[in-house]
Amino acid sequence: MRMFLIIATAMVGSLVQAASLSVRLSPDAENPTMPTMGDNMRFHSVITATAEEPVDGVVAWISLVEIDPGREQPVDLEDWSAHKAVSAARLEPGEELETTWPMRLIQDGDYRVVVSVTARNQDAVFASSTVQFHVTRKPVVESRRIFPVAIGLPVLLLGMLGYRRWHVGHFMRPSAKGFRGHR
Amino acid sequence: MSNPIGLIAAKERRALLENQRGLAWLLAFSATLSAFALLLVSNTELSLLDNAQVVYLMVGTVTAAGAVIAVILGSDAFAGERERGTLVPLLTAPITPAQLLTGKAAGLLAAWGVMYVLALPYLWAVGAGGQNLLQAVVYLALFGTPVVLGFGYMAMTLSAWTGGVMTSLVGSLIALLFSIGPLFLDPSLRDSAVGRALDMVNPFAGAINTYDAVIVDSETFSPQLPRLALVVIWLGLMLLAARHAARKPCFR
Amino acid sequence: MLINVENLKLSLNGVSILQDVQLHVAPNQIYGLIGPNGAGKSTTIAVVLGLYAADSGKLELFGKATEKTSADVRRRIGVMPEHAGFYDWMSACDYLAWHANLYGGPRRAIPELLAQVGLEQAGRCPIGRFSQGMRQRLALARALAHGPELLILDEPTNGLDPRGRREIHDLFLSLAREQGVGILLCTHLLDDVDRLCSRIGIIHHGCTVLEGPLAELLGRHGAGGVYRLRLDNVPDAGAMPKEMEMEDRGNGWWCVRLPTDTNPADLWQRLLEHGWRIREIRAEGGGLEDLYIRMTHAAVESRQEGTV
Repeated sequence: MRMFLIIATAMVGSLVQAASLSVRLSPDAENPTMPTMGDNMRFHSVITATAEEPVDGVVAWISLVEIDPGREQPVDLEDWSAHKAVSAARLEPGEELETTWPMRLIQDGDYRVVVSVTARNQDAVFASSTVQFHVTRKPVVESRRIFPVAIGLPVLLLGMLGYRRWHVGHFMRPSAKGFRGHR
Repeated sequence: MSNPIGLIAAKERRALLENQRGLAWLLAFSATLSAFALLLVSNTELSLLDNAQVVYLMVGTVTAAGAVIAVILGSDAFAGERERGTLVPLLTAPITPAQLLTGKAAGLLAAWGVMYVLALPYLWAVGAGGQNLLQAVVYLALFGTPVVLGFGYMAMTLSAWTGGVMTSLVGSLIALLFSIGPLFLDPSLRDSAVGRALDMVNPFAGAINTYDAVIVDSETFSPQLPRLALVVIWLGLMLLAARHAARKPCFR
Repeated sequence: MLINVENLKLSLNGVSILQDVQLHVAPNQIYGLIGPNGAGKSTTIAVVLGLYAADSGKLELFGKATEKTSADVRRRIGVMPEHAGFYDWMSACDYLAWHANLYGGPRRAIPELLAQVGLEQAGRCPIGRFSQGMRQRLALARALAHGPELLILDEPTNGLDPRGRREIHDLFLSLAREQGVGILLCTHLLDDVDRLCSRIGIIHHGCTVLEGPLAELLGRHGAGGVYRLRLDNVPDAGAMPKEMEMEDRGNGWWCVRLPTDTNPADLWQRLLEHGWRIREIRAEGGGLEDLYIRMTHAAVESRQEGTV
């Protein structure tokens, strides 16, 4: 029994240590209600140091996951956002780190965004709850129409130019003879 | 007896389409549109633009290119003939200055017509499936033509006055830049009193703002009437200036 | 009279270019307009063609007074400017046909016209490949294409070799004598004027200093000078007129020097009446060149004295 209590206390202690950071994520109030491709959205996170000791070397990052059936996958944020992570040297107990995460909606589909945080003296990663949103497709330029025109027309004109050059160069050097027609 | 206007226009048209230099210009125009179109599919930012936005940009590009070609051809109209030694034979032929000017303008219109036709496949490629493609095609003709022709007449005026292609070309291009330049200002600046005043007298702005209103915002024809009046008045003023200059062009 | 110009005056940008120009060109005549550079020859031609409006004076073309040279009048004139310009991308045939159509169409087939100026092999070639001489020939063809009654030619033999010059001279003479074309020839080459022109005008500083039939002017102004006579009989020393000096050059040629106040035409007539058999007369030195230099020098002196 005593051994059980010791083990339980250690577990609780570790649980208390793992819960030293909390993170909340929420969408911006001005985000479009029905976002489409090309729209901009913003998310706000609040990271709180909940432990009694300061937390050093805090780093938080945003992740995006596509959840369309059959296309579930993490999304490379390269085109979606230039602001992918934030760090803080130290968070005092109770101190909050507020961050805004801008995002450009590049592709249509269903997505979930989450912010994760850890620290130098933490073993665990703490994640926010997810925010889910749907990006509607809009009609954009289709490459299958562009390529034939963009490549075909200049090639056609180039061909005309080449033919013209050949046509002109085909003539012999002209020559002149004397004047005629006088008596 | 052949119509002198038709003869001169035919010569101008042949110079553009049968001459190597003319074909090269058309190739450059096509390459510009092709580069723009290819950017639309390869650049992430541009690929997010919807069809209407893209069509609007392309129509503006075609109009700007048309104005540049008009300025080049217009600068050559009298000064180029003079520098080639072909102006005196034209001036001593039994044709009036007005006929010579009209023939040159008809040649310029033919060039614009070819550019317009060449632009149609590009507009289809970027705009099919989107909104207001037909309106774009119609308004490009309705507004683009007087703007392009007006800049052509302006260049012909300078060409006749100065007798030098380079002088006329530089002057005309500067005027064109002044016309296009304000469009690069931030919309908030253009929304100021000064910006709105400039837009009221700038024919190029008149055309571009119309394209925006019709293609992107789906406005109808009647709100565009003031801007149509602007471009038509611009064309009329430039025509008068060109006619006056063509009566006594610099020929020596 | 095809061209009748009297007391023509013109100022451009406040500068007096033409002060008193006279010009009279008739059908069947080749008129030589000569003068130093900047004398006003090309400007006079520009006024005749309607490119400039004269400030005052009389200008008649084809017998009618003109303030502006109308399209109908222009249709009857063929022009060959000093600097022949063309559209280099066009062929010679296409260009001539196009240009002639501005005048209502060519009067004869383009290949025939090209053959007349010696370009029959070059009709389909782009003009950009033509030599200077060929361009000059094409310019002449352009002037002739619509069958003009009056030809105005500015330095027409530029760029032509001696054979080409001779041929173009023969063509001009043929046009004037056989087709009744009047030709206004503006040139520096006094040899051309000597050979071709029956009437000349010398212009200097915007004024006509001398105008009239060439032979009469040479006689009246005593161009004096040196002549070579080819004689079938050796003249008797006693039969030689006192005023002339003769020198035997051999092979029947004699060099004759005349005083400046002797009219050569009168003298030749007297010699013929005295039984001299003159086969050929050639002017050597003196002549038109002397006359030209004397008249333009006199004009300069008058101007300096303020008498002009």
